[in-house]
Amino acid sequence: MSDDNKSGLKRRDFLKLLGVAGTTAAVTGGCSSEPVNQLIPYVIPPDKFIPGIPSYFASTCRECPAGCGLIVKNREGRAIKVEGNPEAPVNMGGTCARGQASLQGLYNPDRIRSPLIYKEETARLAPVGWEKAEKALSDKISTLIEQGKGDRIVYLSNNVSGTFRDLVDKWLKATGGGKHYSYETFSHEPIRKANEILYGKDVIPSYRIENADFVLSFGADFLETWLSPVNFSKGFSKLHTVKNDTTGKVIQVEPRMSVTAASADKWVQIRPGTEMYLALGIANVIINKGWAKANAGLLAGVVSTYTPSKVSTITDVPAETIVQIAKGFSENKSLAIGGGAAYTGSNATQTQVAVNILNHIVGNVGNTVDYSDILMISNLNSYQEIAELVNKMNKGEVEMLIVHNTNPVFTLPPGLKVKEAISKVTDVVSFSSFMDETTELASLIMPDSTFLESWGDYQPTQKYVGIIQPVMSPVFNTKQTGDVLLSVAGNIDSAKGSFEVDNYLDYLKNSWKKVARYVSPGENFDSFWKKTLEKGGVTFHLEPAQVELSPSVMNVEFDEAGFAGNGDMYFITYPSYRFYDGSGANRPWLQELPEALSTSVWDSFVEIHPDTAKKLGVRTGTYVDIKTDQGSIRTQAFVYEGIRPDTIAVPFGLGHKSFGRYAEGRGVNPLDILPASSDSLSGGFTWFSTKANISSNGDYELLVRIQYSETQDDREVAQAVNIKDLPALEQDHEEPPEFYHEREYPTYRWAMAIDLNKCTGCGACVTACFAENNLPVVGKEQVAKRREMHWLRIERYFDKDTEGKLETKFLPMLCQQCGNAPCEPVCPVYATYHNQEGLNGMVYNRCVGTRYCSNNCTYKVRRFNWFTYKFPEPLNWQLNPDVTVRTKGVMEKCTFCVQRIKYAEDIAKDNNSIVKDGDMMTACQQACATEAITFGNLLEEGSMVNELSKNKRGYKVLKEINTKPAITYLKKVKWDKV
Amino acid sequence: MSQNENNSFTYSQVTNDVVRMLEKPTYKWWALFLPTLGFVGIGMVCFFYQVYTGLGVAGYRHPVFWGVYITNFVFWVGIAHSGTLISAILYLFRARFRMSIYRVSEAMTVFAVLTAGLFPIIHLGRAWNFYWLFPYPNQRELWINFKSPLVWDVFAVSTYLTVSSVFFFVGMIPDIAAVRDKVTAVPRKIIYTILSLGWKGSHWEWLHYSRAYLYFAALATPLVLSVHSVVSWDFAMANVPGWHSTIFAPYFVAGAIFSGLAMVITLTIPLRKIFRLENYITMDNYDGMAKLILFTGGIVTYSYATEILLSWYTGSPFEWGQTYYRMTGPYAPLFWTMIFCNVVAPIPLWFKKYRSNIKVLFIISLLINIGMWFERFNIITMSLSHEFEPGAWGIYKISWVEAGITAGSFAWFFMFFLIFIKTLPAVSIAEIKEILPVPKKGGNK
Repeated sequence: MSDDNKSGLKRRDFLKLLGVAGTTAAVTGGCSSEPVNQLIPYVIPPDKFIPGIPSYFASTCRECPAGCGLIVKNREGRAIKVEGNPEAPVNMGGTCARGQASLQGLYNPDRIRSPLIYKEETARLAPVGWEKAEKALSDKISTLIEQGKGDRIVYLSNNVSGTFRDLVDKWLKATGGGKHYSYETFSHEPIRKANEILYGKDVIPSYRIENADFVLSFGADFLETWLSPVNFSKGFSKLHTVKNDTTGKVIQVEPRMSVTAASADKWVQIRPGTEMYLALGIANVIINKGWAKANAGLLAGVVSTYTPSKVSTITDVPAETIVQIAKGFSENKSLAIGGGAAYTGSNATQTQVAVNILNHIVGNVGNTVDYSDILMISNLNSYQEIAELVNKMNKGEVEMLIVHNTNPVFTLPPGLKVKEAISKVTDVVSFSSFMDETTELASLIMPDSTFLESWGDYQPTQKYVGIIQPVMSPVFNTKQTGDVLLSVAGNIDSAKGSFEVDNYLDYLKNSWKKVARYVSPGENFDSFWKKTLEKGGVTFHLEPAQVELSPSVMNVEFDEAGFAGNGDMYFITYPSYRFYDGSGANRPWLQELPEALSTSVWDSFVEIHPDTAKKLGVRTGTYVDIKTDQGSIRTQAFVYEGIRPDTIAVPFGLGHKSFGRYAEGRGVNPLDILPASSDSLSGGFTWFSTKANISSNGDYELLVRIQYSETQDDREVAQAVNIKDLPALEQDHEEPPEFYHEREYPTYRWAMAIDLNKCTGCGACVTACFAENNLPVVGKEQVAKRREMHWLRIERYFDKDTEGKLETKFLPMLCQQCGNAPCEPVCPVYATYHNQEGLNGMVYNRCVGTRYCSNNCTYKVRRFNWFTYKFPEPLNWQLNPDVTVRTKGVMEKCTFCVQRIKYAEDIAKDNNSIVKDGDMMTACQQACATEAITFGNLLEEGSMVNELSKNKRGYKVLKEINTKPAITYLKKVKWDKV
Repeated sequence: MSQNENNSFTYSQVTNDVVRMLEKPTYKWWALFLPTLGFVGIGMVCFFYQVYTGLGVAGYRHPVFWGVYITNFVFWVGIAHSGTLISAILYLFRARFRMSIYRVSEAMTVFAVLTAGLFPIIHLGRAWNFYWLFPYPNQRELWINFKSPLVWDVFAVSTYLTVSSVFFFVGMIPDIAAVRDKVTAVPRKIIYTILSLGWKGSHWEWLHYSRAYLYFAALATPLVLSVHSVVSWDFAMANVPGWHSTIFAPYFVAGAIFSGLAMVITLTIPLRKIFRLENYITMDNYDGMAKLILFTGGIVTYSYATEILLSWYTGSPFEWGQTYYRMTGPYAPLFWTMIFCNVVAPIPLWFKKYRSNIKVLFIISLLINIGMWFERFNIITMSLSHEFEPGAWGIYKISWVEAGITAGSFAWFFMFFLIFIKTLPAVSIAEIKEILPVPKKGGNK
């Protein structure tokens, strides 16, 4: 699988010397000065390297603090596809859309391609070589040390753990004692503080959703961005597996229907800011009904005043619902979670205390809440500490600010005046790969290589450390920051002796020698290192932690949430699962991935309830002005019932003022109108702290979406079954009489099963399909003309449940590879045909573009190349060489990843066998974190897809049209009451 | 023509009247022809732009993959049919009222097919590969897909073009000879001499000519029914709600004749006025055509009613959903325009008073053509907009490229027509002479 890449580099340099210019330049990136314009095959390929056979490297994703393990596919020196590492305990093989899109960060055309230094003469940044840049930095630091101001250096980074954190700390000590601040936009301080109050531990524990049957979430968007979404999706998948006619249950308590709420079994639409009272009310019921298992006596006093009727009035949740939730919570293996960034208000810590109380009294601690395996983001600096840093910068107490993988000018509220503060710092150095809002203020930019081109490690939780290794040599003239820090230290006299090594790989290995001695004493380090690189990381055995309830919980005052301003509407902003904290906004795949509920792309929108919309006279697409005491933003309305009439919500992540062509000037930044306030107990930023006024002057523009229809009418394409009907359910096996012979498939009949009870609408499959099949991104204007190229789309249908409330159904729709395909007989030139393995084949070279096949397609899954779409350099480096890149005038559609099927068949043929279940996965199946998609050979007895196709929940979409689709959908299971 | 008028006509007068139309074109003709050429140019520029940039410059939006181009295609093929109806079918039925107009109708047929034949090429994504739809021997041993209605179209339309052109040309030979005899200018005389294939007007030539004409008429007759049926099966063979209906073949054939007759009226009314052919193209002709319009219009109205009633009767949410969408959705104004133009507008023709009114006839014929164009647009784009899957519904908006090419295609048709009326005899000299009373011995020649 993997190789010690350093020696691989040496071999590639050797090839360069041999004069193999073309592909080598791709491998050595910016090091080569020869132009890339010839395809010259390797004359002597490196060992273990066969052109055409991919290599796979294990690494760890750094798109967010969750730190999922990845396996990255490398073809001829280029990383082309990201998959989850099945051996990593964090994600167990799953990925999210952002992880898939990390390749577009690697190959982003707006990356900073070489060090930049600010030149006084031209008042602009100019490219400069690495030696000069490092010398400039080391000179500046040396000066500071001489002046005794070495402690005025601040290193501001995102969450780093493991070896790199160690390096930064040592480096700062060696350069005069500066301070390291770790800052993440979503740092969950209230969770930490609440745990400190209850158990004396300032930590965020691991939440084991996979061990729970009943998850009660107070606004935690655990399937989108909260803490470790892929891990929780895996847990959700287990919870939502239908066994013995029943499944686990998720209750989502939120004022708006988030993507997580859409997948929940019950969505409790609570009054904003009152989650705390609901939790206390539920605890009250549990204790009073005698369902509690621990410390009921102590905590009874804390929750005694929160009776169901009182809580019901405060929260808008009916009293009987409170009792039902309490019953379910105490009877099942349960888990209560809270602290979604969107609802972090002035009483966020108290809300978390209430959630902790719930977990405590039913005995979840040690089962579904694991304090032995804490999340390493528990060590972040709080928002309050960062605000103090900004204050220090303002007072001129910071001489040098080093920014690494963080963009505070964008992610901190304008009330802090971060930009002005940073401008007062004498020297701003940035290691950023992109010219974002913060890096624009830097005078020296030394671009870090992305994680796909670097060495390192990352520890997401105490239990596991993931290895980061380069999947390819750097695309541009970038250098990994670890190397830069060591090299700079080497140039500073006083720091020279602090480090034994001069490059980060050796530093990393030295650090890992200690790990090796701890984990596997006696083993030779090289063999341990090789094994670790192949596996992707090491897992530690941890002792179970003992926690004891502290009496300080009795002193908590459960205050009401406070809101600034006197507007009418509660204003929510939530982290987008596409852009996270804004760092995904420059990846075109993520911009074109539709937001699951509105299906909006490329722009911001504000969710408004129909009643509010009517009062204002707006409809979906009308521009709305949202005003608070801090300012005003203007964006388009999305009118739907998934939000309360007294609330509006705008996603966070867009509204960049720089950050490249895909992000710049797009959307609005809701932070612009939020006050710079924090939760007094924990020091965390209060995202939910203001009320707003909305008004509209009636300006209208189409809100560009992928799907404009909201309901299924009477068509039943996305079906669900009520859990009480499940035991009697049977699959509809009725087949209409056939006029023609049954088609015969000799060996394979490729088929798929999609479990709608597991699909969360997260879009990882869609992004993976883009990556695997060279799908072009068409841009907002073309999407407005409905010309997006999504081979796989997640259809979203709104419905009403038995109580008349909004419910959502997701239906992943892709080419059904019909047995009786309507597209095949109508193509005049036989560009589409049925092959012997059951696939509907598409011959791009033969297609003339009459588009009759798409007219006849029942499911409308065929896409047409209206133009020859461009992939701006170097995004075209990501293209999969196994898949044709299509020109204008040609039809295309999902092929069930036929290139992967053929690859697996080749291998099977070499082994004199056939492809068996599990030998290959389609891209969408492999990316899906909840394992909703199953793919395989229907003719193979005992294969997963064969079993699922016979499942009683199985059905075919639009069966009555008799297209005989190869995809069996499994009906979503609905709970008719809690 | 009434008995009285007959007496004032002589054979030579007929010939002179018709040949007079072929005189040097006046400024009025050029005033029409040059802008027509201009629009053809615009159409060509739009087309080349589309081929160069990609089909995305047209107004297609998922899931509506066919739009104005196929509408135009079906529209023009439809118009072509009534020409053959008038010249071939009515010949077999020996209808008197066809005599003076059948030449113009046939010309219209040929030019309409030429115009229609452009669109299957224009609407292709890779138009330069259009010849792959023909079964030509190739090294890769590839056949076309005979199951595809588009391939049937290829055969149907090319057959129709071939047969109509030959029918048109052969039928004109005696008249070209008449023109040849009258014309003196040298280049024209040579051209007409060649085209008349040495016609001398001998008895056995006339015998063979009328036999040939009869056989061609018989050959062309079934094509009137089959070609447009085949074109309608482009839609009926698909499973799209709103397309998949067994009534399409007779519905479209009737609609074709309906619109084609209206087009003949639209073309001949100005022609008649400008060239002073009132004595040849009389109100009797229009009376006959108007009655045919009522007949075919009735079939079209019946087809609309059948479609609407049956889509409700099936109880299928897809069928009724489609009908309801047509009547009340974003395109509803176009739907109701179509109903007005095709169902309501021809009603005045029931009354003789209006059938004999030239102005009324002209307006109604224009409305019918607008209505029939919208009908094809209706069927194509509305059905595709609102199919089975609600997640895939979307509408279509015409773009400037499509408008340019459509205008160019109308201009292309009109260009051929203008050239025709100035170069070939637009009224059948021979047949009109047939119905004149035989001159008395010693009387006029």
